[in-house]
Amino acid sequence: MAGTGGGELKYEMAQNAYIKLVLHALKHKTSAVNGVLLGRTSPKNESLVQIEDSVPLFHNHLGLLPPLEISLIMIEEYYSARGLGVVGYFHANERFDDTELGNISKNIADHISRYFPQAAVLLITRSLKLYQKGKTAALLCRFVSYASMAF
Amino acid sequence: MVTKTEESQLNKLENQVDNGGGGAWEYLCLARKLKVRRSDKVLKYGLSILNDSRKRSSLGSDEWTLYEQVAVAAMDCHALDVAKDCINALQKKFPESKRVGRLEAMLLEAKGSWEDAEAAYSSLLEENPFDQVIHKRRVAIAKAQGNISVAIEWLNKYLEIFMADHDAWRELAEIYVSLQMYKQAAFCYEELILSQPTVPLHHLAYADVLYTLGGLENLQTAKKYYSSTIDLSGGKNNRALFGICLCSSAISQLARGRNREDKDSSPDLPSLASAALEKEYKLQASDKLSVLTSTLKCLRVSS
Repeated sequence: MAGTGGGELKYEMAQNAYIKLVLHALKHKTSAVNGVLLGRTSPKNESLVQIEDSVPLFHNHLGLLPPLEISLIMIEEYYSARGLGVVGYFHANERFDDTELGNISKNIADHISRYFPQAAVLLITRSLKLYQKGKTAALLCRFVSYASMAF
Repeated sequence: MVTKTEESQLNKLENQVDNGGGGAWEYLCLARKLKVRRSDKVLKYGLSILNDSRKRSSLGSDEWTLYEQVAVAAMDCHALDVAKDCINALQKKFPESKRVGRLEAMLLEAKGSWEDAEAAYSSLLEENPFDQVIHKRRVAIAKAQGNISVAIEWLNKYLEIFMADHDAWRELAEIYVSLQMYKQAAFCYEELILSQPTVPLHHLAYADVLYTLGGLENLQTAKKYYSSTIDLSGGKNNRALFGICLCSSAISQLARGRNREDKDSSPDLPSLASAALEKEYKLQASDKLSVLTSTLKCLRVSS
């Protein structure tokens, strides 16, 4: 699937996945947090990525490699048995008005998109923003209203 | 930084107070002594004591310390009116106090009036240039505004004067890690290890940073520091055990192409670490044991 300016790429996010990440961010209000998004491309529609689950990762030392490597290996092992793969990366910055996607997040997201080209990056800010990694596509975020409720 | 026993003691007290068992004052004293950041609880229980005039008078002169503690907690929870009330009460009692002046400047900072807060801190520092808290608040202002480079500069200046402030070294190291300046972060952790060589967390963090830097020498040093972490923490540190497996796998990957000048100093270290991890997982998370075994196999296969 080429995806370079062709059809639209859509993302569908399960409520469970979203809630876990928001709760993780709320629990650690004073630090940056990150996590991975897990899912698959929909078998019926190749341009729809279903994000079914998420795993919150860290709330401090986001830039350190050893915990990240171990956790990614373990997550892949666990979820490949359930038919899900890593489809994206989630990040929330330390300051609420910081809407930049930092270098660390960019590196991790790049790495993920090497294995799954339609990877998404979810950056929680004051209002929900969904960044697309490198491809020209439109994003569908069904939980924008939920996000404005939570913030 | 709190030890595990102190933290569990604090949590026990917190649970007790949460479930209506009393002991709020002990909890507040312990939180103040350990300098932990549990602002929502401190605010709730501090206010319950302060608003009850009987409990308040039974505190005696500790009442004012409690006012200060609740004021700071209120500012952290953004309950600025509560903070203002506490500061007013303190001002009435101690009209010319620098400590109260510091709280007022912190209130300006909490409101977001950065320039006013900065000016207030600078004037306070002129009178007392060795006030550690005010120096650190200035770093916090820079960080809150997003001027990370200014924050780093201030923090470095602070550390030149107050070299023994471990929390400040840790903060600086964390800022460097978040900016991916790993060499500088390694330097901070080296300072911490020099001054507190028996604290395993510093060894662990240093090893993590070295591994992230990469390169054969760094990996070998990282392996040594993971081992010292395990040694200092009595073998209970899972991150260090994982670190050893990761290091061994990465080292053998790097050393595969070239002739190894020295034989691997401890060839059974990774297998010992894996065995320890499996034992720990069997105890605490037996349903995830299969994930662990396949992860370890993955690391061994790539080595």
